[in-house]
Amino acid sequence: PALAAAAVKAARGWSGLLLGVRSVVLQLLGLTQVRWSRYGPEYQDPQIDKAYYRKPSAELNEEEKYERELRKTPVIKAAPATKTSSVFEDPVISKFTNMMMKGGNKILARSLMTQTLETVKRKQFEKYHAASAEEQATTECNPYTIFQQALKNCEPVIGLVPMLKGGHFYQVPVPLADQRRHFLAMKWMITKLSRELLEAFHKRGPVVNRKHDTHKTAEANRARAHYRWW
Amino acid sequence: IMLKGMTRLISSVHKAKHGEQHEGQHYNISFQDLKTVFSHGLPPRFVMQVKTFNEACLMVRRPALELLHYLKNTNFAHPAVRYVFYGEKGTGKTLSLCHSIHFCAKQDWLILHIPDAHLWVKNCRDLLQSTYNKQRFDQPLEASTWLKNFKTANEHFLSQIKVQEKYVWNKRESTEKGSPLGEVVEQGIMRVRNATDAVGIVLKELKRQSSSGIFRLLVAVDGVNALWGRTTLKREDKSPIAPEELAFIYNLRKMVKNDWQGGAIVLTVSQTGSLFKPRKAYLPQELLGKEGFDALDPFIPILVSNYNPKEFESCIHYYLENNWLQHEKAHTEEGKKELLFLSNRNPGQLERLCAYL
Repeated sequence: PALAAAAVKAARGWSGLLLGVRSVVLQLLGLTQVRWSRYGPEYQDPQIDKAYYRKPSAELNEEEKYERELRKTPVIKAAPATKTSSVFEDPVISKFTNMMMKGGNKILARSLMTQTLETVKRKQFEKYHAASAEEQATTECNPYTIFQQALKNCEPVIGLVPMLKGGHFYQVPVPLADQRRHFLAMKWMITKLSRELLEAFHKRGPVVNRKHDTHKTAEANRARAHYRWW
Repeated sequence: IMLKGMTRLISSVHKAKHGEQHEGQHYNISFQDLKTVFSHGLPPRFVMQVKTFNEACLMVRRPALELLHYLKNTNFAHPAVRYVFYGEKGTGKTLSLCHSIHFCAKQDWLILHIPDAHLWVKNCRDLLQSTYNKQRFDQPLEASTWLKNFKTANEHFLSQIKVQEKYVWNKRESTEKGSPLGEVVEQGIMRVRNATDAVGIVLKELKRQSSSGIFRLLVAVDGVNALWGRTTLKREDKSPIAPEELAFIYNLRKMVKNDWQGGAIVLTVSQTGSLFKPRKAYLPQELLGKEGFDALDPFIPILVSNYNPKEFESCIHYYLENNWLQHEKAHTEEGKKELLFLSNRNPGQLERLCAYL
């Protein structure tokens, strides 16, 4: 994976080459590029964090001074409209809202997200009031911690990839990269949000079951593991 | 864990003693009062908040204090004075109205509370031709629900007040002169067809008898601009109905006129439920229209504005006490500054922001 990533990055830098040549090269390496970027390699990512800019120059050490100098060059990519320097922002939540969005309707996705968080919070409060003294210490009322813990509980460790070999599609177990795990967890969760979030937090419920099912089928198809060639 | 902090008043402080120094503090409403007086008055988000926190706390704010001051000093021999709460969306007009209703209920006035006049001029399923006057229309469902809530709010008055006329409902039923008002209300609840007429009778009797001095009447209408606007209701031949052709609206307009003594009229104008009015309109002139303004003139307007810094701090403090703000950054100074910026100190916006933080 590291080799492939470096290759993709280098390939992105060949902005002058023909499309055909690039795709042939990438296919030889076993990867097809899905997303193009209009920015060349000299563009840096935007730095949103307020604390980074507020540090007085006396406190910087060598690398940070170098970064600051680098930042003074005018080529920085535009920050997307959804990334704010707000204190309340959470990259996981933003990713989730983007995934829920259909047809570019971010307003609807965001309102759904906020309503889910609110219903989760109200349900937890009701449980808190109804519970006894010891249970009150353990009931978690913060919807953000619930959300993150629920996603972590849903991530499958190992996933299945259908591979064509000898005319048949076999399900082959494959270790998953972090991003793919997050993506799968969020995708499975999107239907019937608040109840599923709560149940996933407590490690029950349909999404966690689906994760366990994936693990089980991966175990069952263990014999086909040698079909994987990366 | 639920500590009673500096922002809470001790509930033994009687409502009559709310003064300038209490501005910005919250006071508790007992569950008993919620069930009787506010069975149909509170905004839905507030009801959710009451359910979640297991308590109902209102903030004492300047417009409400002003109104309470006027109410304490009313001269009941003079005709009823009209007070109108106006302000932008989400500033707290309905809750100020509820505050004054609670005050009057504690002082033992008779409360005539119409929770939202806009509900009567739109989305009505069944319109019957009125039995009393062929030109007008009845709304049986809304009238019967309103009568039920009115009964729970003013139980003890209904047996004391006697009707002064004989009313014939149909060939078999009639209410004799001198029978208690409770009977009229019962009749309206049971015979849904005559519910609107029962409401009209109740209003007429109360208006006539409040001048006599047995009781004091508070007429509280939320969204009074619905009485003079347009309706979305149509007849069977799809021609629109004007508000005065609805019997309930017709009677309510007579109620809001200041030709009776012995009480006060407190109103709010709101854009939120209103029909065919622009979103940014909040002044009484814009929302009432010419007809409404002339009908309500003269009245005392009371502006309800966003929180001032002290009230904002108090509100945040109240949420923190109830552990409603769960986000870890919300407790910091940065978080508070951001909430202030995002909500512009608007109470409604602040409540919605804090709901998911």
